Amino acid sequence: MCLLLYGLFIDVVGVEMKVSWQTRLHIWFRLLLLQASWNFETLQGLGFFYALLPGMRKLYSKEKLPEVSLKYTGYFNTHVYFAPLVAGAVLRLEEDRISGTAAEVEIDDFKQMVAAPYAAIGDAFFWGGLRPLAAGIALFLAVKGILWAPLVFVLLYNIVPIWFRTAFFSRGYRQGLKSVEFIQQHKLPDLAIHTKEAAVVVLGGLSAFMVFSQLTQHQVPSWLGMLTLIPMVMLGLVARKGFSTLLLVIITVSSIFLIGLFWADVVHLIAF
Amino acid sequence: MALVLARIDNRLIHGQVLEAWVPFVQADCIVVANDEIAGNPLQKMMMQASVPSRMQVEIGTIAEATLLFNSAQLNRRRTLLLFGTTADAVRAYQGGLIYKRLNLGNLQAYKGKARFSCTLFLDPADLDNLELLDQAGVKITARCIPADGERPWRKLIPALKGRG
Amino acid sequence: MVLSLFLGSLVSLICGLDRVAILQIMISRPIVAAPLAALVLGEPLVGLQIGVMVELLWLARLPVGAAVPPDDTQVSIASSVLAITLGQTLNASGGELLLLCLFIAVPLGKFGQYFDRYARQYNVRLVQRVDSALKRESFLAAEGQHLRGLISFSLSSLASYAIIILGGLLIIPVLWPYVQQSLSYSSAWMQLAFPLVGIAVILGTINVSRAITLFCASFCMAFLLMWLV
Repeated sequence: MCLLLYGLFIDVVGVEMKVSWQTRLHIWFRLLLLQASWNFETLQGLGFFYALLPGMRKLYSKEKLPEVSLKYTGYFNTHVYFAPLVAGAVLRLEEDRISGTAAEVEIDDFKQMVAAPYAAIGDAFFWGGLRPLAAGIALFLAVKGILWAPLVFVLLYNIVPIWFRTAFFSRGYRQGLKSVEFIQQHKLPDLAIHTKEAAVVVLGGLSAFMVFSQLTQHQVPSWLGMLTLIPMVMLGLVARKGFSTLLLVIITVSSIFLIGLFWADVVHLIAF
Repeated sequence: MALVLARIDNRLIHGQVLEAWVPFVQADCIVVANDEIAGNPLQKMMMQASVPSRMQVEIGTIAEATLLFNSAQLNRRRTLLLFGTTADAVRAYQGGLIYKRLNLGNLQAYKGKARFSCTLFLDPADLDNLELLDQAGVKITARCIPADGERPWRKLIPALKGRG
Repeated sequence: MVLSLFLGSLVSLICGLDRVAILQIMISRPIVAAPLAALVLGEPLVGLQIGVMVELLWLARLPVGAAVPPDDTQVSIASSVLAITLGQTLNASGGELLLLCLFIAVPLGKFGQYFDRYARQYNVRLVQRVDSALKRESFLAAEGQHLRGLISFSLSSLASYAIIILGGLLIIPVLWPYVQQSLSYSSAWMQLAFPLVGIAVILGTINVSRAITLFCASFCMAFLLMWLV
């Protein structure tokens, strides 16, 4: 929360530029609705237009506005958390164009140029890395039956996205075209790989924790838990071949079910 | 040299390629054959910056990519090849960049293009191009990400005819 | 019961919109959505258990580009609601009912994927409408069309929720007397299997070269630590 407020007031609001902070705040809030009309034809295109409209209203006269807007409704897709960065930079480029500073690239080209790389980085880092990591940590608590676990997940996960959405919106606005430089400097794709590795380690600990607590609960010798690794690695290898999760779940659960029935019968027989 | 996947995707390198296909086919090298991007240093830089550094990325014109494939440079690599349009794929094939299977990923909607599946929008020229490749013996299938089912491209066509 | 289903649908709407359309603060993840729905109905622990089981199941299916992953939000919300309401009417409790609800909800989740795809397909119409609104220089109408996309996403969420609830209400009461006993032998182990299968799929599909080695090392470390300490 503090981070959000900090971001909003220092970064989004703080810089004094042509587009007033009220307008920028307006755009920022509209960016939260970016994907409201996500569709297979223009993807986030309409949302991007919708978000930038308050800014364009300030920059362009009433006569030119429809023409400019039509340019913005076209195909566009990037990662949601990166969209503020793109929006900020585009706003800046538009502003420069109005004030007559010669732009090095066409704004439309800029938009298309950054969209796919940002999307690739965002998908890798947020969906591929951060989400399993945060989920893994929160599930430790959830398995223990702690009711705060969902809250922990939401807070833990959202730190970085909120920072991206606020700080990078203003960074885009301040730096315009130069805002692309940060992804070279920070090697974000490698950071994404490290996050994923961390997530794998956490998930390993989580599996061990779940198996161990289950075994102790049912008073089964706990060393047996090490055997869980074998089916898990096998399932992992099968999943790599492209088998669907649904199929794997059905197979696993039904075999456990059958073993359970069989075992119950055996116990029954021995008892007599 | 192992060409593990040849794909047509108008967005070239993006999340679907890096997050879904690369681990699935276990590629360690991506070749982008696209004249436009090869001629635009900034865009080339952006694209290279979006790939983890342990992967090799080669971005070049179609001619350059063909040369690269026919040289011994990528011999030890598992390569994923990306085209932007069907026309590029045909040009590369005719220029000597031979692939046996072609995956259709995303082709963006423009005016005059008809929708074939959620992410594939083709016009008659695209169909001719694909037909040409099909005649040459390339197995063309549509599959957005590995978790989706694989569909032969001819199965998609009735969808167009149904729309008139 | 009607009230519970209605409250559940509210949660399903809010969390369903977070999935694609707005915010994306991840209240759509099962680990948040299921306990939230269950909290509204007064039994948060049931939701927490379901959240644990579903959260990791499809975590490996990333919403990359135009790819639509299975709707785990509605699966988890609807199975929580089912487990709680049917638990009251069938006078049952415990893991067996949760499992049965999940068995019904998980395959029906496929419909969620279908509805989601349909909503996105429907939204294509909005593109043309926005364009024509802009040509008329009516910006308010253009903005309105963008926001209309929210309606299609809401409807798709509610439709997936409704279909899982409906399927569950029809099937579970019939099956319950037959399977209750046989599920009870292994229900705890099946509950454990859900997250573990999810983790295995993540390992298989994550873009990390030594994922399985790392996982095994970390598993063994953690296991030995707990065993010996």
